[in-house]
Amino acid sequence: MNLKSYLDLYELLKNDVSSREERRAFGLSYGLGKSPLDQVITWTSRYYKKLKSPLLSETFSSYMYGVTMTLVIIAFFLGVFSGITLLSYNGHEPVNVVYFMAMVIVLPLFTMLLTVLSMIRSQSAQSILVHISPAYWLEKMLGLLPNAMQKSIETFKINPLLSNWIVIKRSQLLAIFFSLGLLLSLLAVVATKDIAFAWSTTLQITPEVLHRYLNLLAFPWREFIPTAVPSLELIEQSQYFRLGDSLSDEMIHNASKLGEWWRFLVFATLFYALFLRFVLYLVSLLGYHLALQKSLMGLEGVNTLLRDMNEPIISTHALHVEKISSAVQKNIQHIQKLDTSYDVVQGWAIPLSKLTVVIDSMEVITPNIFEVGGGNTLEEDSEIVHKSFGEVLLYVKAWEPPTMDFLDYLEILLESVDKVIVCPIGTEEESYKAKAKWVDIWVQKLSLLHNKKLWVKI
Amino acid sequence: MMKKHPRFAVVGHPNKGKSSIVSALALDDTVQISDIPGTTNKQRSFPLKVDGKILYELIDTPGFQRARRVLAWLEKHDVSADKKHDVVQMFITEHRGDSQFNDELELLEPIMQGAGIIYVVDASKPYGKEYEAEMEVLRWTGQPSMALINHIEETDYSSEWKRALGQYFKMVRTFNPMTTNIEQHVSILESMAQLKEEWIAPVKESIKLFERYQEQRIEESSQVITQLIYDALSHVEELSLSEEETTTDEKERLEEQYKQYLRKLEIATQKKIEKIWNHDNLQKKQTFLTFKNLDLFSEESASVFGLTRKELLITGATSGAITGAGIDLLFAGHTLLLGGTIGALVGGAGAYFGFNELSEIKVMGQLLGKRYLQMGPMKNRNFSYIILGRALFHTSSIATRSHAIRSVAELSMENAFKEKWLDDSLRTSLEKYHKKFRSLDEINNETLKEYETLIKNILFKLIRH
Ligand SMILES: Nc1nc2c(ncn2[C@@H]2O[C@H](COP(=O)(O)OP(=O)(O)OP(=O)(O)O)[C@@H](O)[C@H]2O)c(=O)[nH]1
Ligand SMILES: [Mg+2]
Repeated sequence: MNLKSYLDLYELLKNDVSSREERRAFGLSYGLGKSPLDQVITWTSRYYKKLKSPLLSETFSSYMYGVTMTLVIIAFFLGVFSGITLLSYNGHEPVNVVYFMAMVIVLPLFTMLLTVLSMIRSQSAQSILVHISPAYWLEKMLGLLPNAMQKSIETFKINPLLSNWIVIKRSQLLAIFFSLGLLLSLLAVVATKDIAFAWSTTLQITPEVLHRYLNLLAFPWREFIPTAVPSLELIEQSQYFRLGDSLSDEMIHNASKLGEWWRFLVFATLFYALFLRFVLYLVSLLGYHLALQKSLMGLEGVNTLLRDMNEPIISTHALHVEKISSAVQKNIQHIQKLDTSYDVVQGWAIPLSKLTVVIDSMEVITPNIFEVGGGNTLEEDSEIVHKSFGEVLLYVKAWEPPTMDFLDYLEILLESVDKVIVCPIGTEEESYKAKAKWVDIWVQKLSLLHNKKLWVKI
Repeated sequence: MMKKHPRFAVVGHPNKGKSSIVSALALDDTVQISDIPGTTNKQRSFPLKVDGKILYELIDTPGFQRARRVLAWLEKHDVSADKKHDVVQMFITEHRGDSQFNDELELLEPIMQGAGIIYVVDASKPYGKEYEAEMEVLRWTGQPSMALINHIEETDYSSEWKRALGQYFKMVRTFNPMTTNIEQHVSILESMAQLKEEWIAPVKESIKLFERYQEQRIEESSQVITQLIYDALSHVEELSLSEEETTTDEKERLEEQYKQYLRKLEIATQKKIEKIWNHDNLQKKQTFLTFKNLDLFSEESASVFGLTRKELLITGATSGAITGAGIDLLFAGHTLLLGGTIGALVGGAGAYFGFNELSEIKVMGQLLGKRYLQMGPMKNRNFSYIILGRALFHTSSIATRSHAIRSVAELSMENAFKEKWLDDSLRTSLEKYHKKFRSLDEINNETLKEYETLIKNILFKLIRH
């Protein structure tokens, strides 16, 4: 897993390349028993080919590479020049090793302390410790240069944790190159010039004390390379007082010996500025890797992706979309009030006992009452049609929707009588008054017949 | 052509709620449901599928239109009970393509292919003899069957219905598609399983799946709500400034933009929730998110190199200090760390006072800094509970709404709703997260997941009581 997976996944999720079904199929065939991180990475490596080029990961990587390279080169030359400046011997005064030691021991230790602190604080979005790293704001400044690349990564918001670790990691790399520059300049100066090293400080430090300290600082290598630890004698000889006479005779006498300081300086650089820094670089690599994992799993859409892979797809809906039926017309002859008498009164699926009550309650008079539909056979119905004539009042239960069975009957009836008035009625509890909503449905249905003899009571 | 999984054909008289029942049981809000009889005129299958595998199938059918005619045809063939099934098959074969029996063929076909019969009646209307022909036809098919009593209106004639249905069906159950919940849903599935012995196991599996399905949707909803709350609380709206002085007009514009963002966020979230619960077609009426008594502040701000003044101050001070310390080193301590202190002061002050100048410097045609007015993240604590409460109310209303309902949803939240989900201890745990969201610190996945779990538990309580 690397930054590329992170960026590819980011882009994949943003452009949503796969359907839920594809994701689930992937989960079933590749994801079983794997850790979520593994699943996500495998998925990314399978799908990134679907992304349109240029890939963000490529643009970003080349941008990162460019910035890092530039910074590394700057750091290296900065190291070289600092080294040369520190070691320059103007002929009047010997080179004070304290400066150089500060540069290769104190400064690295101090910045490494800052680094460790910033590693601990890497969670917070805008860690000040990260902000003070030269790697951070040098990039900010480089970023101001107009650049086509800039445009494409502008919209991309990298996880702060990850970006913090990128800066931390990069800072370590810069420090390594800076120190390499220093080391190189030290070696070059030593090889090409003959310099006298000396030490001098305002602080009250006797050569014995300094010797103890240096011995302590040299603990990593003093056992193996004793010549790389300045002896007490050398320290005594190379102490230098600016306020006294220019150079003591002793110093001049021992000038050639004084050069031996360089071994100590080289090893100090190697150990403090380079080795320790390299260890820290490895730690930062580890931290970066963990941050990458964390940010990868924290990308928006990863949870959904994992759920889509691991949760069964359950669906209950219909397979096909239903065709919507068109609106119907309402266009039929109607009456508001029933006449007082009819030649025939019929009730569709209304038993005779009920029918007579309805007829009475509506004050209708008729010599012929029939129940049709309902439990009748078709033959019984057609017999009733034969017996029917003139004006027929046909009661229907308003709440029961008109079926084709009813329309079949109505059509036969209309053929053998002069007029049919269909009268929808309500239930007994409603005192046979039909609800308008139901009457409306009857009207709609009956309109379909387009028959001059057909009337509806509404 | 026998299919292995259980199939259930929902049949009955026109306009008695067959489609409503199917819609509710299949959680599908696209089913055509209307007052007009004959709305459904083709059989439609609603399979319960897990990863493409069908566990059972519900089939919506048109209502009986000419049951008496079908029965008359069948009865002309007087056969022994074991042959009746074949006669029905003969009827189908003989009348295929006959538009007169379109509806009957559509509804008989799945039954003849082995589907169980779910006969739907509306017991808010009186029983009538005209139903007997269709029940008789169904009996001819010889398929296992049950009756489902629906109440479209308030009136109740269920006792006369039960007496009549008892003559034809071994099992009679009541089901209201409009108010159904998961318990009733499960219980109706359990009854359906009883129709045939070999259906018990697959339907049991389906029930488990239905419960899992609801859990899935609650989980998805919690995720969506978590994202909403995080986005809403951490949102910062910025307005680039051109003039020296901020005008009231600019302030108002920013405030409007900020509110608009939050409203849109809420609406988009609701859409997602509705989609999760298969209510894509929902029509709803509700009040908008309001910002009364919330005291929205706007602040002027600026940045150089993408750093705010405070950040630049610290950066300046520290780099000043480091430079100073470097000077100290070069003087080998002669300066008594004065260099570091002075460096910090100079760097800090430089960054602080130079901020405005820096922000106006142009490098290659680009301004180094920008000035803007900003609003958010939301400082008012109450707002978190307002927007969360609304989201929970919306989600629980949607989650418990039957898919058979086609009317406009009135989503008006009463004040008492808060008491249903929020208590002091919950408030304490929620506040911890809300504070984090507002802080603009990086929120890691685990934190969001923890919050999601809190939301999930609330939703479970609200939806499943
Ligand atoms: N209030 C209420 N209305 C219901 C209920 N069940 C059905 N309805 C209404 O009754 C009408 C008919 O419902 P549908 O589900 O379309 O009936 P159907 O049996 O599929 O009708 P067709 O397809 O035309 O045969 C619709 O307006 C429904 O809203 C119920 O339980 N309560
Ligand atoms: Mg229907």
